[in-house]
Amino acid sequence: MLFVDRVSRSFGSVAAVHDVSFSAERGSVIGLLGPNGAGKTTTMRILLGIYVPDAGRVTWNGAAIDLATRRRFGYLPEERGLYGKMKVRDQIVYFARLHGLHADVARKHADAWMARLEIDEYADRACNELSKGNQQKVQLAGAVAHDPELLVLDEPFSGLDPVNAETMLSCIRTLSEAGTTIVLSSHQMFQIEDACRSFCIVGAGRVRASGSLTELRQAFPTRSVRVAPDLPAFRALFAARGAPAPRADGTELIYELPVTADFGALLREAVAAGPLETFERQEPTLSQIYIRALGPSNGHPA
Amino acid sequence: MSELGVVLVTELGRKLRSAIFWLATLGGIVAIAFMVEAPVLLAALERSSSSDIVLAGPEPLRDRAAALMEAHKDYRVVASVDALPQHVTPNYLERHGKAGAAVAISLRAGRIHLDVYPKDLSAFDDVEFRSLSPLNVELVTGLASARVENASKIDRTIHPLDAKFADTRAAALAHGVTFGLVFILYLSIVISSQSIMSAVAEEKTNRIAEILIATIDPTNLLYGKTLAAAVVAMAQIGLWVATAVVLLPQAASSLVSSSSVSSPPRTGDAGAVLAVLDPGLLVAFAIFFVLGYLQYATIYAAAGSLVSRTEELGAVATPVILPVVGAFLVANFALVQPGSPIVIACSFVPFLSPFVIFTRIAISEVPAWQIALAVIVNIATVAGCFWAAGRVYRVGMLLYGRLPSPRQIVAALRA
Repeated sequence: MLFVDRVSRSFGSVAAVHDVSFSAERGSVIGLLGPNGAGKTTTMRILLGIYVPDAGRVTWNGAAIDLATRRRFGYLPEERGLYGKMKVRDQIVYFARLHGLHADVARKHADAWMARLEIDEYADRACNELSKGNQQKVQLAGAVAHDPELLVLDEPFSGLDPVNAETMLSCIRTLSEAGTTIVLSSHQMFQIEDACRSFCIVGAGRVRASGSLTELRQAFPTRSVRVAPDLPAFRALFAARGAPAPRADGTELIYELPVTADFGALLREAVAAGPLETFERQEPTLSQIYIRALGPSNGHPA
Repeated sequence: MSELGVVLVTELGRKLRSAIFWLATLGGIVAIAFMVEAPVLLAALERSSSSDIVLAGPEPLRDRAAALMEAHKDYRVVASVDALPQHVTPNYLERHGKAGAAVAISLRAGRIHLDVYPKDLSAFDDVEFRSLSPLNVELVTGLASARVENASKIDRTIHPLDAKFADTRAAALAHGVTFGLVFILYLSIVISSQSIMSAVAEEKTNRIAEILIATIDPTNLLYGKTLAAAVVAMAQIGLWVATAVVLLPQAASSLVSSSSVSSPPRTGDAGAVLAVLDPGLLVAFAIFFVLGYLQYATIYAAAGSLVSRTEELGAVATPVILPVVGAFLVANFALVQPGSPIVIACSFVPFLSPFVIFTRIAISEVPAWQIALAVIVNIATVAGCFWAAGRVYRVGMLLYGRLPSPRQIVAALRA
């Protein structure tokens, strides 16, 4: 189990990460969300021991993370990097061997991952001869060829086309099912929502919200109600319950009401007030939760 | 295998598979072969154009002059004629043994007079025909030329102040060979260290460093890269020195024989070169090359870790190249003044020591304690460089943006 406990790290006078805490069970996938400069990469680098925190601690299965533990982790940084002239297989084998695998085992794992990611035909080609998408696959294979216990993926979907993004998602699911704990960051809400079991939204180096999607939704203070048609009677009904002016979405109007509102009673009153065609209570999306958690300043101090 | 071993082996493989390595190695071999053989080729060319002469004149005088010139190796008489044509032309010389000059010998007022017609005045080696002096004295005074020659000889015995070299020729050869080795040391350190600096900067700029640092101890990464480069550089220098060892004796032998018109090549010259390149000197070269290389390579690698773009390499390369240039200059001074107090002191100054102590060992008698002290100083310097470079490297590899200030570098060393 990964446990991040009140971790802080500053660079000069800038607090990149402040009092960040979260945890991840074995085999779970946690998404770090936040705008650029929120502290996601710094947090990930602290997990990997690249940076030492100024305060707080990070443990893996109850013990502090040392170099031997880090060799059981895998890392895909946001800025991809490969040895351009090195052959694809050699590159993956090199990374696997740096993580402690014997040469023969490293080669077997490299071949298996190349086949899974459909880059085995490029095994003996230099990396700089591959397309960007295939280079990203090589990088992923290098990060996972040693069967890491914890995999840290910084913006794994960045620059991927839909097909390769789906391949990445599939790998994340496979690894998670096999017991690998995964920490990933992304701006792509759709993919991160699909991949992660829990989330940690950070802004200006601080945790703004965290938990599973269900928990985050439960903590969200409002719900949207999609209503059609647009009738004065319906507007009056929602205004009476304190809903702000609705926003239009085609022929439908979307009202925001406190989560504590009696939506059943409201539906009954709407049916009585006019010819109701649509009345749909909607759970907040991850995007809505993200935007609300970070506020209008996008997480940065006003 | 340890992570250091994996880095070392992988880096070795990368370097040995690199086309640039093989181009540099083979280019170096060709360059050394050319440098060694060039004097022989030039000597051969010079001999055909200036030392070979057509000698003209009355027969008894001409024959005695020819015998003296050939005995003293001044000139080689490729053709003897009674008289030269009225106009000596290059074609005439070409037809007569491709001679470099025509020389007419005659008697005027009881003395030898020479009329010389060189093909190329600039290339003609005018040694004033000193070998004919005894014959001239004989003609003027009546003393037999053999007696004159014998009486002109001055017996001398050279007493070297140390037992390093048997004679002046061996000492001169040692200076030449030592300069060559120090130059190879300098060149190899500069080229290899810059190559390491570029490789580190490339790893940083293409962001692969972040993966490596997340996986292994950065100092092991630095050590692995530096040691691999040292092994490759040693192999490269080994090939270069082997080329010189094989070719130098032959070249020396050819050079000596080329200056001798009639005598066969003397094997002693080849032996003298081999004596200079004795195993002890080569071992000293290897030891101080490795120690010197590791000092510079680690510093260069640390410098490479500070740049964010490869275009910035020049800015960090300038301050770190100055010590190696300085060391080379001091080594050249040591070649002339190996016993100077400044040179002796520089034998124990970090970064200068590998060059200076090696130069002194090669051309003079150095007390064993000084060699031992220099080795200790160099080992300590290497350890210090690894320590400092490891710290700068660890911080520098994740530092992007502007070049760090000296204050930031000091902070990294203290971290």
